[in-house]
Amino acid sequence: MDFLRTLLSRTAELFAHPHRDNNLDDEIAAHLDLLIQENIANGMSQADARTAALRVFGGVAQTRETYRIQRGFPHLEQFARDLRYAARQLRRSPGFTLTAVLTLALGLGANIAVFSLLNCILLRPLPSPHADELAVIRSDRSDDEHGPAYSFGSPFLRALEQHHDGFESIAGYSSHPFQVRNESTNVRVPGAMVSGHFFQMLEAPPLLGRWLSPLDDREGQATVAVISDSYWKTRFHRDPAVIGRTLTIANKTFTIVGVMPSSFVGADPMYRPEIYVPIWAEPIVDAPYNAIASGHHSWWMRLIGRRAPGVSLDKANAALGSLSDGILDQSIPDAKWIKEARDHHFRFVAEPGSRGYSYMRDTFRKPLVIVFVLCSAMLLLACLNLASLLMARAAARERELATRLAMGASRLRLIQQLLVESLLIAVLGTAAGLMAAPVVSRLLAAVLVGGNGAFVILDTSLDLRVLAFVAIVAVVSTLLVGLVPALRATSKGLNEQIKSGSQSVHTRQHHFLPRFLMSMQVALALILVFGAGLLATSLQRLHAIDLGFQPKNLVDLALDMNKQSRDGDALLAWYRQYLDALSRLPGVRAAAYVSFPPMSGSAWTETMHSTISHGEQQIYMNSISSGYFRTLKVPMLAGRDFQWSDNITSGLKVILSEHAAQKLFPGQNAVGQSVDMSKKSYQVVAIVGDIHYTSLRKEAPPEAYLCITQNTDHKPNYEAVTRIEGSVVPFAAAARQLASRMAPEIPAPILTPMMTDIDGSIASERIMAMLAVFFATCALLVTAIGLYGTLAYSTARRTSEIGIRMALGAKPAQVVGLVFRENAWVAVYGSLAGLVVSWFAARALTSLLYGISARDPWVLLASVFVLVCIASAASLVPAIRAARIDPSTALRAE
Amino acid sequence: MGDNRSDVLQGTLDLIVLKTLEAMSPLHGYGIARRIEQVSGDSLVLNQGTIYPALLRLEQRGWIKSEWGTSETNRRARFYSLSRIGRKKIAEETENWERIAATMARFLAPSN
Repeated sequence: MDFLRTLLSRTAELFAHPHRDNNLDDEIAAHLDLLIQENIANGMSQADARTAALRVFGGVAQTRETYRIQRGFPHLEQFARDLRYAARQLRRSPGFTLTAVLTLALGLGANIAVFSLLNCILLRPLPSPHADELAVIRSDRSDDEHGPAYSFGSPFLRALEQHHDGFESIAGYSSHPFQVRNESTNVRVPGAMVSGHFFQMLEAPPLLGRWLSPLDDREGQATVAVISDSYWKTRFHRDPAVIGRTLTIANKTFTIVGVMPSSFVGADPMYRPEIYVPIWAEPIVDAPYNAIASGHHSWWMRLIGRRAPGVSLDKANAALGSLSDGILDQSIPDAKWIKEARDHHFRFVAEPGSRGYSYMRDTFRKPLVIVFVLCSAMLLLACLNLASLLMARAAARERELATRLAMGASRLRLIQQLLVESLLIAVLGTAAGLMAAPVVSRLLAAVLVGGNGAFVILDTSLDLRVLAFVAIVAVVSTLLVGLVPALRATSKGLNEQIKSGSQSVHTRQHHFLPRFLMSMQVALALILVFGAGLLATSLQRLHAIDLGFQPKNLVDLALDMNKQSRDGDALLAWYRQYLDALSRLPGVRAAAYVSFPPMSGSAWTETMHSTISHGEQQIYMNSISSGYFRTLKVPMLAGRDFQWSDNITSGLKVILSEHAAQKLFPGQNAVGQSVDMSKKSYQVVAIVGDIHYTSLRKEAPPEAYLCITQNTDHKPNYEAVTRIEGSVVPFAAAARQLASRMAPEIPAPILTPMMTDIDGSIASERIMAMLAVFFATCALLVTAIGLYGTLAYSTARRTSEIGIRMALGAKPAQVVGLVFRENAWVAVYGSLAGLVVSWFAARALTSLLYGISARDPWVLLASVFVLVCIASAASLVPAIRAARIDPSTALRAE
Repeated sequence: MGDNRSDVLQGTLDLIVLKTLEAMSPLHGYGIARRIEQVSGDSLVLNQGTIYPALLRLEQRGWIKSEWGTSETNRRARFYSLSRIGRKKIAEETENWERIAATMARFLAPSN
């Protein structure tokens, strides 16, 4: 209690009036006065009375000092003084301060931005209680070339709901947009189908009403839905009477039974469902498709489990693994399939699931880590750079510091004071970096998400983990920046300082540290420039790939026709009318339908054979309308295009790509021959050029095209690929208006420029190259500033030495050489070190590069060349300035 | 803060100041110092300045309070008096001190 009161009183003193010392002075004066009066009353003279009074009082100054220390927090007050002193020092050289703060802000801001992205994609756990008990379930098979599978068919879910040794429960979910009726039309709303145990497992209590339970997840139950807090807000304006109201999803009515709180995000951290429905309702929501009916042929949901209390992940995994065999027997009615799965050691595997599952994680882990390493290198470079600049500056204060040391200041005290200065720079830099970071991370997130659809959410907001990271980085960079210069600046006694004088010829040892730091900077800059060179060249090669078609000015227009009422010929007629109307819009050069536009991320494969093909061949398929190849500008090598008049009665037709024709009819002309697929025969009517279907990097696969007029699927969705002239904005508006006029009930078509898809397919390459080039540019700039700053400084300190040299007959060229050499060595050593590190580190990039070796000598040479040029430019100015020194002025200045 | 030796001394001075203020208050620093000298019969020689840190300490703990007033020589001076907490603490501190004194006395008593 007493301690607390004392603490409080001392804290209050921190904010007290600055003239409070006067109070004590008054008190002491009054005291002395009374003593003097007493002494005079006792018969002393005025002077004697005063002396005696002071003796009795005993040390006025001492009393004051003790009092002052006891009154507040002397350490804090000292710190405040240091801070004011540091601020004054920084204000005095605004150029240096601005450079320092900006350099650090750049390094820190980039780091914070990349770390918040990394945090959001790789680190942040699901906001579920005891998230560490969650496990993501996958299946491994020895023959799976794509690695472990995270998708499952519904029979597996139903079996695992019953048998889940080692787990409290196992739940399944599948996320994709639902078609929901709005006032006038249908709209897409991000949704999720979840199994009965889903909410219970994530332990998130509903905000209103109830969540979905296992009782809701049985076929034929009432169609119920739970909505998110944000959907409650936007659609129902937080109406508390929302429970019991209905939503029309895919033309069926769902009753709302609950609202989840805003903290609940489901099991995929990068997707925010607004509506949850029981998984048995999949055939309703997905109509006209039915994944549940396709059983083990359709792999469409993800599984997540919560471990039983006290069961470790290893044990749970072992228990789950041993269930695998039994579950195959129980859930798959296909003995051949089971045998094949067993032969390839099919088994369920549980992996840590506290962060949920997101496909983005695997895609972006390596690029993000590489970007993070790049920007850490950039930050390190910024710190080293500041350290060398501070060191150069501190050299000017060496004499002052030495004098203070000689007068009794402790070295620790001086170091403290110098560190406060770098702390202030670091804090300013961090603040600037923190302000810029959210903007930067949002930009990066936008590039990453780019091609991955509108419903992916990257929440890069600053959480505790990011703030802790910021704090650590700020402290570490303060120490990196400040400690070495502070230690060095206070290392010399006054004696030494005076002996050596300010214009001494610098000893080798004295020069080692700054040169070492600068060399390290050059090395780091070289590594960054080399890495950026590789990534940029690789990206440029990716862009230069000939796709087989011309993607510029192509727009994909996705039509959602599978929930409306037309079907069969009526739907086909509608499609044709819409395409005709679309083609007549201003600026449209050509248009055609396709089921899977190239590079959109989706693909369809089948196996085909001909009489002379070597067995079944895997072929990439597409359904197209007449005019597709003309629209994409794919060359027609032989035969004729499909026609709208090709219908089911006129015989099934197929168009093959050159690659597919070679596979199916090696050495023969394919046109007119027939191929077999799914026990049906198709006549080849044309051969067209190969195009890249799914990936820029992979060679164009063998492709076959069927005609949409011969497609017997119910309510198929097609995308209208349109080649337009000019801006996409007016076209988008016109196309949407056209769709809403011709089919008011369908959701507005989604328009995606083909280039967006292509850029999206290489999002990680793009983001890495962009950031690497940015970091490399900054690194070059910072290194140039550092080289210039330190050299300018050390040259200024050698003014009189140079003056003497010139007085003794040194020619300007010699002086230039003398000064220039200082940095030349730094650049040479730094480059050598950088070369060695780059040579070994580049291997980490191998898997991310396209069409270029990680040790490409030309890029390496170019990087060294760029760095040497920058170093020379930065060194030339001080060198030329040194050569202009007038010897007599230089000597007189002494 | 500080070592044990000065703590004991501080404690002593603190209690003396408290007792002084219990007997007479409000008093200014000079008054307290004079009173201590009188009571101790000048056997306790005190650097009068040292009572100011003691007064600050007591005030920070909330045991005493102060007011500005005018001294006999017409100067601005601070007058101290006991607070409510201080009155309670005197009993506690007195008991404490007596225990220490008794213990000390046992050590100092001639052993026979």
